[in-house]
Amino acid sequence: MTPSSNPFRDATRFERRVRPCALVIFGANGDLTKRKLIPALYRLAYEHRLPPGFAVVGNSRTEMTHEQFRDKMREAVLEFTEETPFEEKIWNDLATGLYYDSGDLKDAGCYTRIKARLQEIEHSRQTGGNILFYLSTQPSHYRAVIHGLGVANLAKPGNGAWRRIVVEKPFGHDLASARELDDAIPRVFNEEQVYRIDHYLGKETVQNILAFRFGNSIFEPLWNRNYISSVQITAAESIGVEGRGAYYQEAGALRDMIQNHLLQIMATVAMEPPAAFEAQTVRDERAKLLRSIRPFTHDEVRLNAVAGQYGPCRVGGQALAGFREESGVNPEAQTDTYAAVTFTVDNWRWAGVPFYIRSGKRMTKRVTDIAIRFHSAPHSPFQTGNHDSASWAGPNLLVLRVQPEEGITLRFLSKLPGSGMKLRPVEMDFKYGSSFGMRSPAAYETLLVDALTGDATLYTRRDMVEASWEAVHPIMEVWQNTKKEFPNYEAGSWGPKASDEMLGRRGHSWRVP
Amino acid sequence: MGTTAISPSRILKDLDALWLSLGEEQQHEPPVSGAPGASPVLRACAMTLIAVVDTDDVTVGETLAMLVRSHPSRLIVLTVTSGDAPSLQAGVTAQCWMPFGKRQQICCEQISMSASRVSLQEIPPVIRGLIVPDLPVACWLRGRNLIQTPELDGVIGLADKLIVDSGGVADLSAQIGYISTHEAGARRVCDLAWTRLTRWREAIAQLFDDAVGAERARRLERIRIEYQGAHVPMSAYYLAAWLRHSLARSLKVEIVRVGDFERARVCSVHLAEQATDVSITVTTDRDVQLHAGARDAHTVFPRLSEYELLREELSVLGPDSVYESVIAAVPALLAESEAAPS
Ligand SMILES: NC(=O)c1ccc[n+]([C@@H]2O[C@H](COP(=O)([O-])OP(=O)(O)OC[C@H]3O[C@@H](n4cnc5c(N)ncnc54)[C@H](OP(=O)(O)O)[C@@H]3O)[C@@H](O)[C@H]2O)c1
Repeated sequence: MTPSSNPFRDATRFERRVRPCALVIFGANGDLTKRKLIPALYRLAYEHRLPPGFAVVGNSRTEMTHEQFRDKMREAVLEFTEETPFEEKIWNDLATGLYYDSGDLKDAGCYTRIKARLQEIEHSRQTGGNILFYLSTQPSHYRAVIHGLGVANLAKPGNGAWRRIVVEKPFGHDLASARELDDAIPRVFNEEQVYRIDHYLGKETVQNILAFRFGNSIFEPLWNRNYISSVQITAAESIGVEGRGAYYQEAGALRDMIQNHLLQIMATVAMEPPAAFEAQTVRDERAKLLRSIRPFTHDEVRLNAVAGQYGPCRVGGQALAGFREESGVNPEAQTDTYAAVTFTVDNWRWAGVPFYIRSGKRMTKRVTDIAIRFHSAPHSPFQTGNHDSASWAGPNLLVLRVQPEEGITLRFLSKLPGSGMKLRPVEMDFKYGSSFGMRSPAAYETLLVDALTGDATLYTRRDMVEASWEAVHPIMEVWQNTKKEFPNYEAGSWGPKASDEMLGRRGHSWRVP
Repeated sequence: MGTTAISPSRILKDLDALWLSLGEEQQHEPPVSGAPGASPVLRACAMTLIAVVDTDDVTVGETLAMLVRSHPSRLIVLTVTSGDAPSLQAGVTAQCWMPFGKRQQICCEQISMSASRVSLQEIPPVIRGLIVPDLPVACWLRGRNLIQTPELDGVIGLADKLIVDSGGVADLSAQIGYISTHEAGARRVCDLAWTRLTRWREAIAQLFDDAVGAERARRLERIRIEYQGAHVPMSAYYLAAWLRHSLARSLKVEIVRVGDFERARVCSVHLAEQATDVSITVTTDRDVQLHAGARDAHTVFPRLSEYELLREELSVLGPDSVYESVIAAVPALLAESEAAPS
């Protein structure tokens, strides 16, 4: 019987509970484990959302004892847990379930040792044989790990237990490598066992886009080409590559942000309403939208995609290095630290509506938001005499803020007090904090609980990943074969001039978030 | 305490003045970083919460202060004073807190009123003027002696959700009658005695999650609920009604007293079929023994504070079809018990 067919289940009241299980982290000595995974687990333990006996088995190359691993993870929790106090007792309870086994992922013995450890834990901590594997290591190892788990017979459980695997981004570095990985997985895991993570989908504010669109009746009727003239999605960072230059040099903004996170946000903004908020239906709709993105020809790429790279600059008395001066970066690097693309969607709802998407490093400020720009009023009666229709202010704008201050703003026109009809733009502003005093769970908390309870709604699927690679594939081809004039924007700015020109050709301009 | 004319517009003006002074106080603090132009005080409100309390209620303030952190509200605390003389008072304050790791204070407004029983009928028009428009209104009848007070019907009539607590109530028929009467139109009533059962119900549900459990659920024949205390607690009937409702069968139910406890409570649930039985027993105050056939397990039901119970209830502002079915089934169970030979 599945929990949902249990006659005693009460979906209104019962929290989704994680059943006893173990989590195996490959790459447990890495940055992601320290910054995100272990703090998320601590937070879940703090909220009593982990089952008794919950265990974590960490693996990486570095030799460490269980105790040393626990100490290292304790430091990570102290350093990276936000908005939650550190309680020694909660940590100690969690730490007794942390184990560590060093080993090289290319060595078959590594998996046999992990298997033995998991068997021991199954008895000592009663995890019931349920295991979530988490690939938090270099993507070049993913296929080896999947193969290793298959050979060690760790992917297929017996006795009603479950096995699942979370695959961290990047899922491939281009369409071909994504397909290769996708082909390797089914030799060991069924598609239902695979959880491809895109942590943007786990963000509360991104989930809220669905609540906003499909929980209310007033927005959806306007949510189409008849009322919306364009959509802008911005993910800007004020920081540079922060010591990860070598990694970033191979990735770039198009691969690192647009291909995955921002196209998933775009799919969330533009998808059709799903019949139910369930893994299959929600993902079907997202996938359908991603497949509807019009593919570019090479000529179209030149008009609809702009690459940028930041150069050195002084901001507020501080000298900021250009990308090519960052440590570990090739002084001739052709990496896009900024990318902007105009996508269009081939369906009735969105035909002709440009989706402007941009992401960059070392920009004016850190902000992620989605701006929906409506058409101007078809006629304004306030354009004559000493009236002022404020047409300079632009049409209505709805902004969904993802970070830093989550909320929704609607810009509309209002009358300036006094005689005459002078209109001024005003904002109706909603902040999540003012209605929901409680803290929002971090994306990794949400996504870990989802994977541990078998809910894949917020994870991407093979067809979604491949469709988003297909959307950026022509851009990557053109950019690889073009020598770009870099650097072309100053640190602290909103990106290269060519990006403004791209919107200008359609009579639009980037808004300043 | 005497009578002052209290009007919603006057109270709303006082609230405006309060916000102004909070803003001024905060201007002396260092500015909030990261958000240019952001106010250091964030005014939070997602509903109106009316708490009706007895005069001597000294702990309610703490519960409400915790509660607004997860359900920011305009709080209206109505104290029903003793004495026959007419008496009405009102004042405003703010409940503020600084979320861990943040630099912006969040504040909710609180309106405290007191009225003697004879003055209660003058209260609904005042509260009506203070309700935050277009947001849900919840009314928590906290005072033990207030549950059957007809003078409060006007206040209850303003709420979308009424919260009562049948823990400790001995006259179950009257209590069920009261709940059913107030569950009128769009208003929903909930009972913290039902909220306390969520852990029990989850523990029971978990025993039937696997295939063996599923088969066992189909074969269940009898329900036995044991309680301790001077009278049958409402929770015993709630559990029995829920089990029957979930199984969609009229199983035989036994509700049996097995000992004393300062406050009546369920201490054990047995679900039996021919071959095996399933039971959940509270061994000490919080420790719980789960038994299903040959499998034994142990868990803990943490003691839930009133704040935690209310937090759960205020998260369920929409229909709660399971509880509604339970409420509908309890009168028949009560009638069965009365008819059964003692
Ligand atoms: N860091 C982030 O914030 C972030 C965000 C999103 C996605 N990701 C993704 O998450 C994954 C991990 O990122 P990361 O930043 O944590 O990387 P990282 O800091 O470089 O850590 C890599 C980990 O893999 C281990 N490892 C490398 N080669 C190994 C081998 N042959 N055998 C066994 N273990 C090996 C390393 O072990 P040793 O240290 O012992 O050598 C280390 O624990 C990457 O796919 C990345 O793209 C990271």
